[in-house]
Amino acid sequence: MKKHLLAAAVLAATAALSAQAGVLDDGNLSISGFGTVGVAQSNTDDVKFARYNQADGVGNSARIGLDTNLGLQATYKINDWLSGTAQVLTRKATEHSFTTDLTWAFLKARINDEVSVRVGRVVVPTFLISDYQNVGYANTMMRPPIEMYGQAPIENSDGADINYQHAFGDLNFTAQAFAGVSRGKLFVSTGAGSTATYRAPARGISLAGEYGPFLLRVAHARADMEINDIQPINALTNTLTSVGFGQLASDITFSTGKKIAFTSIGGTMDWNNVVGQAEYAQRRAKDKVYLPDTNAWYAMLGYRFGKVLPYYAHASAKGAGSSITAPAALAKIPALNAGVANLLTSAEQTTDIVGVRWDFAKQLALKVQVDRVKPGAKSGLLINVPAAGYTKDVTVVAAVVDFVF
Amino acid sequence: MKKIASALLLSAIAAAAVPASAAEIVVIVSKQNPATRMFSEQASQFFLGKSNLFTPVDQADGSAIRNEFYHKVADKDAAQVKALWSKLVFTGKATPPKEYPNSAEVKKAVAADPKAIGYIDKSAVDDTVKVILTLP
Repeated sequence: MKKHLLAAAVLAATAALSAQAGVLDDGNLSISGFGTVGVAQSNTDDVKFARYNQADGVGNSARIGLDTNLGLQATYKINDWLSGTAQVLTRKATEHSFTTDLTWAFLKARINDEVSVRVGRVVVPTFLISDYQNVGYANTMMRPPIEMYGQAPIENSDGADINYQHAFGDLNFTAQAFAGVSRGKLFVSTGAGSTATYRAPARGISLAGEYGPFLLRVAHARADMEINDIQPINALTNTLTSVGFGQLASDITFSTGKKIAFTSIGGTMDWNNVVGQAEYAQRRAKDKVYLPDTNAWYAMLGYRFGKVLPYYAHASAKGAGSSITAPAALAKIPALNAGVANLLTSAEQTTDIVGVRWDFAKQLALKVQVDRVKPGAKSGLLINVPAAGYTKDVTVVAAVVDFVF
Repeated sequence: MKKIASALLLSAIAAAAVPASAAEIVVIVSKQNPATRMFSEQASQFFLGKSNLFTPVDQADGSAIRNEFYHKVADKDAAQVKALWSKLVFTGKATPPKEYPNSAEVKKAVAADPKAIGYIDKSAVDDTVKVILTLP
């Protein structure tokens, strides 16, 4: 609650300052923004392709909702060491319409040239590009590979983080640690689709070394996820309890808070016009919970011909087991046994991506990307899938313009 | 008429080409700054948001000297530098360098701040600032 108030206060302060910007105009306020205008379409209406946590996917007709977004940011420099920043992001997420969220809202204190502390709402740097995945202009690929970025449900956390930056000769080392409480909505694609609300105390650390054009980063984050309203899960656990499998039900549910860990290693390079980005990550349940363990990776390679940068990427998500073993007695109720077995199995998917980024004008980039999605177990990460499942390849074609100002 | 037009065009091209090729860029700091010399890789760290030890002062967006500077110290064009900064700005990690319209203004800003680092046309140098790197 306190953190909500703090975030609101930072936003209000920043908004009030920006309202006076014309009057103040002392060079301490900066307003900036980013966005993407895009259109996407797939080759089938049997399933939908969506970004992670999106309620609406794209089928066989052109849609703007997949990639289009707008971010606005205001930073006010209070003095040499203190500043306040707020950012709002409009996009299509867990609702069927565009919604606006307060994604960042923090006060930043610069302790010295190498250390700064931020208090308020910050985006959690779970994976390599987690904290700038919505800024199309800052990325080579059109969207973060869902195989990797769909593993982590938490987006931002209300709390604090500390950033440390030090140069050891030609090696730039940065460290970031955060702790806070993450809250948000999750889109549950089962059946007609529904949303659930989570609350998750979370903490994590990321370490990065940058040597000229090469960057290597490792990160670990943990969240204690508490979700009470995942309707299909609640229906299942109620049934399990009523037929005498109360222990299994309490193992499955998120309603009592379950710890999930995310570990990743990734890197980027921009060397002699060769542009690369690759990452590997594991999601592991540290308590018994239905959410399967997963391993994911992707690798992207591109070559810059002046303003034009064609790239290819491959992404993969695979199951890595479950923290729960269903009791043998459950086999006596085959339907329920099959339902539980399916729940404990991870969706699997690979995607081949080809695309091109063209920096055609100042602060504008045009991207065209084709995704060839190969759904594996549980129809992969596609949504609105038929009851019998879906295993055919899906091709998604999209064109966007990314901008910053 | 056509001749005048082509003459104008030619001289415009020549005018545009001269400052980009003939001008020497120098990296400057305040007289109070203890630094005496620097490699171009080091200088680029401050302008690409990788170090806060010095405060970078930039030339106008789109200016020839700015494009040439980033090309020389980091082998990056304006779009690449912008993409890099948008990553830092929209994750709240750093704010982009303050911009000044010309070498004289950059020099004034650098002279006034012991932590500042800037780059200007060599011909604009005077004894209010200290040159720590010359980019050929």
